[in-house]
Amino acid sequence: MNCFSLAWRSVIRKPAKSTLLFLAVFIISLLLLSGISGGKAGILVQDSSRQAIGAGLLLERNMANRRQRMDELSKEIGDKEGSLGGYHQEKIIVSGFESYLGWTDNFFETLLMEDIKKIAETEGIEDYNVTTIATAAGPVNFTRIEDEDVDQHGDPGGVTLIGNLDMSMDSHFLSGNAYMKSGRMIEKGDRNVCVISEELANKNHLEIGGRLTFCDCFNEENPAVYEAEIIGIYQVNQPIISYMSGDTYRSENIIFTDLDFPEKVEGKENDPLYERAYFKLADVDEYKAVKEAVKRTDIEWERYDLIDNNGNIDVMSANFNELEKYSEILTWVISGAGLVILILIFLFWIKNRNKEVGIMLSMGVSKIRILAQILTEALIIVVAAVLLSFLAAPKVSELTADYLVQQQVQNAEEQDLLDEGKVASSDESSDEKSGQKIQDVHTEITSWMLVQDALGIAGLTVISVWMAGFAILKKAPKDILSEMS
Amino acid sequence: MILEARNVEYAYKSQMGRKVLDNISIQFEEEKFYTIIGSSGAGKTTLLSLLAGLDSPTAGKIFYEGEDIKGNGLNYHRKHHISLVFQEYNLIDYLTAEENVRTGGTDKPEELLLKVHMPQETWKRNIMQLSGGQQQRVAIARALASNAKVLLADEPTGNLDEQTAAEIIELLKHTAHELGKCVIVVTHSRYLAGEADEIVQIKDGKVETPVIYSYSDI
Repeated sequence: MNCFSLAWRSVIRKPAKSTLLFLAVFIISLLLLSGISGGKAGILVQDSSRQAIGAGLLLERNMANRRQRMDELSKEIGDKEGSLGGYHQEKIIVSGFESYLGWTDNFFETLLMEDIKKIAETEGIEDYNVTTIATAAGPVNFTRIEDEDVDQHGDPGGVTLIGNLDMSMDSHFLSGNAYMKSGRMIEKGDRNVCVISEELANKNHLEIGGRLTFCDCFNEENPAVYEAEIIGIYQVNQPIISYMSGDTYRSENIIFTDLDFPEKVEGKENDPLYERAYFKLADVDEYKAVKEAVKRTDIEWERYDLIDNNGNIDVMSANFNELEKYSEILTWVISGAGLVILILIFLFWIKNRNKEVGIMLSMGVSKIRILAQILTEALIIVVAAVLLSFLAAPKVSELTADYLVQQQVQNAEEQDLLDEGKVASSDESSDEKSGQKIQDVHTEITSWMLVQDALGIAGLTVISVWMAGFAILKKAPKDILSEMS
Repeated sequence: MILEARNVEYAYKSQMGRKVLDNISIQFEEEKFYTIIGSSGAGKTTLLSLLAGLDSPTAGKIFYEGEDIKGNGLNYHRKHHISLVFQEYNLIDYLTAEENVRTGGTDKPEELLLKVHMPQETWKRNIMQLSGGQQQRVAIARALASNAKVLLADEPTGNLDEQTAAEIIELLKHTAHELGKCVIVVTHSRYLAGEADEIVQIKDGKVETPVIYSYSDI
């Protein structure tokens, strides 16, 4: 009777010991697969999220250069009233002393569209958006949302208009904080259109296709009224925080418009104030190369700051790197614990089979052949358990990965709370962080993972049998037979 | 002469080197039925273990057909030269009677089971479902399956009733006289000892000559 025949009969006819090993291997294999796939899930989620969020480059004014330009223009104008390059100087008397008040207009402050277009032509830039500064506008045919308990005396009584060339790349929507409830976003080529908040729509019973009219809330003498068609209604997860106070700038009163609309309402047609430009990268993995190429664009770079708009990616990458690390630790812990459990099981096996081992030895069967039979029995059970674990693995690994990812997100959120107030953060970065929600964790059990798991379990089994088998190898046959009697 | 113990000594390390066997020399031949008798602790089972190659003597040698059994290794000796039968039957508990006999190395267990008078309906039964006598018959059939020329048995009738024991003794005698094997049995049974062609008496680790035994010895 050969080794396999004996092993097969032992497996089938001694179900208690076989079941014990089967369950242990099934669970170890399942956890091992979950650990392996969890780490890879982290990378998958990381990659897909990076691509989905779409890393980009943000162009803003350089504030130090702005101050420097103002100083230079002021010097050029000298101690007199005048205007130069969008900088204006006016004489004022303060406490009997003559002084000059300087201010700037849109021409001075705006990002230059020709510079934006030059950058957009850089290879690797897939698309771009331009966003205007938040512009106050008076509501004409609708009512804004107000806090009744707040004195509105100092507030211009308006709503906020934010113009976008392509609203899908607006920072609030990119971060995931704002999303469309109905209708569509503003696209390139749109004119006189707007997207309003759900709260504003509800308050005024507004629907898509309706029309809103606005006036210049800072110049009551200007009788012009501008009309925009409602093409969409949006909602936010967290209120959009503005750096301006008052109900004019409250989240519900923010109205997204096409790029040219705010300047018209402000009475400054063809004199826009573009606050920032966003350049979307075609391939997130080419981030550094594209950034370097953008820097080589022939524009007056002193005026601008080129900002890595991938802060959330860095945070997320760090989180998911942690996840990968945790998964790796989990895999090692499972392997270590699995090894100990399997050794104990095989020690239990061998202890309970002392008699059989003694009989075999008395019949001249070598110790190696006895160990080979035990290993064969173990491998028969292991193959069945591992195959079953392969079937259950997709669901279990998804649950495990989901748990690990949620843990990571929770950790990140807790860290955000701890960092609150310690680090300077703009409203955009806050939005980006708050928008760092994982909607779905997709895990994938690849053939290679199955091979890794099968090899891992087989390795653990061989090592365990071998280590437990020392109990046999070190004993003389007579000792084993003596123990039997 | 098929099996020989020459100047064999054995001492347990745990017993301060006390000799269990002291310079024993003895020879065994084919077609003969031997019994080894002696009081408890006399060294009978130890001698049987040494003859079976389950352990090595601390001094002296065991020869099989004139060759030191250590030459090819004790494992080889156990596999090819001897077969063992125990008081506790020592069958593999998850196998049937037929399968247990197969482990002895035969492809025709039926012939051997017939030889040891096992009823055919028991052949496919798990050995745990057999009586003690039936299990011992299976153990003897397994021992015969190996084609070894020496059959060593340690108290083979110790757990059996008189009737069954007598049948087993007949079987062992048949194995020696009809099958031409050398059968060496360690026993406390006076009846079994009396059936032997030759009796070896061990006393205080030495072979007693001539063999004179009393009830107290066995």
